[in-house]
Amino acid sequence: MHLNTDMTVNRITDEIWEIPLFEKPGMLVPARIYATEGILQAMDSGVFDQVTNVACLPGIRRYALCMPDGHWGYGFPIGGVAAFDVQDGVISPGGVGYDINCGMRLIRTDLTLADVQPHLERLMTELFRRVPAGVGANGFVRLSGEEFGRVMTHGARWCVERGYGWHRDLVRMEEGGCIEGADPSIVTDHAIQRGINQLGTLGSGNHYLEVQVVSNERIFDPVTAAALGITGHEQIAVTVHCGSRGFGHQLASDYLKVFEKAMRRYGITVKDQQLACAPFRSPEGQDYFSAMNCAANTAFANRQVITHQIREAFATVFGQSAEALGMELVYDVAHNIAKVERYAEGELVVHRKGATRAFGPGSPELPETFRQTGQPVICGGSMETGSYLLVGTDQAVRDTFGSTMHGAGRTMSRAQAKRTFRGEQLQQQMKQRGILVKAVSMSGLAEEAGLAYKNISEVVESVDRAGITKKVAELRPIGNIKG
Amino acid sequence: MAWTFRFLEEIALADIGFEAEGESVEEVFRCATQALLESMANPATVSGGWERAIERSDVDPSALLFDWLSEVVYWKDAAGVVFREAPLTLTREGDAWLLRARLIGAPVDQQIQELHADVKAVTKHLYELKRTGGCWKVRVVLDV
Repeated sequence: MHLNTDMTVNRITDEIWEIPLFEKPGMLVPARIYATEGILQAMDSGVFDQVTNVACLPGIRRYALCMPDGHWGYGFPIGGVAAFDVQDGVISPGGVGYDINCGMRLIRTDLTLADVQPHLERLMTELFRRVPAGVGANGFVRLSGEEFGRVMTHGARWCVERGYGWHRDLVRMEEGGCIEGADPSIVTDHAIQRGINQLGTLGSGNHYLEVQVVSNERIFDPVTAAALGITGHEQIAVTVHCGSRGFGHQLASDYLKVFEKAMRRYGITVKDQQLACAPFRSPEGQDYFSAMNCAANTAFANRQVITHQIREAFATVFGQSAEALGMELVYDVAHNIAKVERYAEGELVVHRKGATRAFGPGSPELPETFRQTGQPVICGGSMETGSYLLVGTDQAVRDTFGSTMHGAGRTMSRAQAKRTFRGEQLQQQMKQRGILVKAVSMSGLAEEAGLAYKNISEVVESVDRAGITKKVAELRPIGNIKG
Repeated sequence: MAWTFRFLEEIALADIGFEAEGESVEEVFRCATQALLESMANPATVSGGWERAIERSDVDPSALLFDWLSEVVYWKDAAGVVFREAPLTLTREGDAWLLRARLIGAPVDQQIQELHADVKAVTKHLYELKRTGGCWKVRVVLDV
């Protein structure tokens, strides 16, 4: 088997591969990669190097993990999961990423493809108008500094209080859309100035808003799907992928600087500058955790305001209220975050960077709504292939700190994609295949071509076979908005 | 003016990497800045009207360049603008390098500007400013 590394990689099962402790000086735990043999062979060398760098961080427990959508990131690989003891372990912005609480949200409807198809052009135009995307886009919500502070502490709850959502939405979000312990007083002015006008905006890159259809033949677990509101019969759903925007990006940048200095003070050395970290219990560690929670709540609020705009757009186009159209939230889940969770080893700070929480039906942290199904997991593929709805498992809680994949993962660099594809041509080709795309940037669109990504179905298959999530349904795109 | 930089294909799969070079530190600052501006929008499609004078100093030119590029990204969001140009000078003041720059651009307008990526951050991933063979080079990876 040819791999893009010289390291020893041992097969544990057909979907689990382990790099032993002796492969890199300083490794405190082995590294494990979840992937089929085919996916493992295609992984770039950065994954092997970065996951073993993570295995060297102080206080790490059990394994440094990488999910099958893993690829080269900053510090941690994308798809990286690592858990550190709250007493002697660290917290690292490099294990969360710049886009704090970048995540996925899925909204179901009672509409079918036959209902939507005749109005698709108008619907996409309305969505494109209501949900700003791309460089420098500002949202419609105007906030004072004090009110922005309430967004930081209350997250999606703030939105519901202001009429940008329904109270029952909250139960269908990780942490109810509001993480405790967010302290706006330690947030930098720079971060506030960058983010205060961006609530309700998508951003660019791989962020998107997608109108999708669910066919009966692409429902793999009808009972669970029905319990989550996914009924098939060419049902229309909407997926949103975005995060905390400039606010979170700036906080991450600011705290990386703080941690570079803190590491010298605490005598911590790391293999990569982007792994800058501090003891979780240190003042710097606690400040970052609190600031990160401010950004995480802002991201929940961002996706909630976008949901409000999506509901308004559908209501305008179809002449019925969003409630009458059955536009209930299926779930909202983060895939760039650090959280304190309890496992066999005790309380751990679990970092998920391009990885999704995947708690099983037995998890006491889940609300009653998901005690039978397990926690919904939403994984986005490329704009040409669509997304998957999965559910977490108790095995994930045992094996991967309750974590799984988050998306397809890239195989082609943005520069190469831009050389290979033309945005206008891609837009035309997708239209011919029944996918209407509205994009702010044509070069940005070219970068997101389907062939620049792994085959999401193969990635999903590998986590399903590994037992850390079970697939429920596939959602196929018919309309896409990109920044 | 000819800018010496190239976007890198072999690194930063999901993001934007570039390498800029110049015969002087000042020149490499200019080229790296231009690469960043072009990552966000085509400067030729951006008018003026918005302007900020920025002055920063540091004994370490590598840290100074990193902070300057990060500040450009900050203003993109804080002011909601993209940039046409950023004329700058770099001088020595004792042990420190002093950067004086003007950031010139316009509010984002999707109708008239050719917009590119919404850069999240300048990263330290593979970041390196070095002198090789009489030439200054910097490698930068932007998170987008």
